[in-house]
Amino acid sequence: MARKKRNAAASAEDDVNLTPMLDVVFILLIFFIVTAVFIQEPDAEIERISAKQFEKQSPLGMLIAVDKKSKIFFGKSEVTLSDIGFRIREARKDNPEGRIVVQPHRNAEAGVVIDLMEAINAEEKTNKVALSVLED
Amino acid sequence: MRGRTSRPAEEANVDLTPMLDVVFILLIFFIVTSTFIQEKAMAAEPPPPASPPIDKEPDPAILVFIDANDNITVNRKQSDLASVRAAMERLKAENPESALIIQAHPQSSAGTFMIIRDQAYSAKMDRVNIVRSGG
Repeated sequence: MARKKRNAAASAEDDVNLTPMLDVVFILLIFFIVTAVFIQEPDAEIERISAKQFEKQSPLGMLIAVDKKSKIFFGKSEVTLSDIGFRIREARKDNPEGRIVVQPHRNAEAGVVIDLMEAINAEEKTNKVALSVLED
Repeated sequence: MRGRTSRPAEEANVDLTPMLDVVFILLIFFIVTSTFIQEKAMAAEPPPPASPPIDKEPDPAILVFIDANDNITVNRKQSDLASVRAAMERLKAENPESALIIQAHPQSSAGTFMIIRDQAYSAKMDRVNIVRSGG
């Protein structure tokens, strides 16, 4: 009982000084805010195929989905094939580094996916497009 | 004046704990959102942009054709998803130089040509192209 009383009296002085920790946490916070790149996930439900050969895409830049009705989604909105180049150029202003990944639904029309891949290559001056798959 | 000076120093200290809680929550939010989204993806090659015709005799090619109903033919021989890899490997053994062309009907499903592309990677085919058939 007596010991408890003494502890309570001393507790004001025993308080840990949180200020240096707060400084560190703030610096971490600001670092993560600055480096955060927000990627909008397409608003479409995608069923992927499973594949053996793939690589993890990092840093990820843009996700373009083709759903099972062969509609193309960029972020939350549906876009047409002719708008894709413009949308990529707009998004590249915020995110010049990240890679573009196409997420085709397994039952999407091949014609639409191939046209989309051609449009992306024409815009990005590349000759390959990453297609999202599941690990087999 | 007297009341102010006699106030205990401890109470004048701002309690930082609630602020620290908020900052921690923000910190965790940003850590999670910055690393959460990951995509595994496979590289695929659509047809290259039209180039001027070359006079050279084209290399022999392996042509995998997918029709509108996802039926697969390899160099005009009927095949299916399970045996297409064996067929591609056999043709490649006969002619190691040959390029692979996956020709998909626009109405066929995207999954089919992606699975064939994956099997072409497994069969170590280089020079692969995915094109759409006319129509």
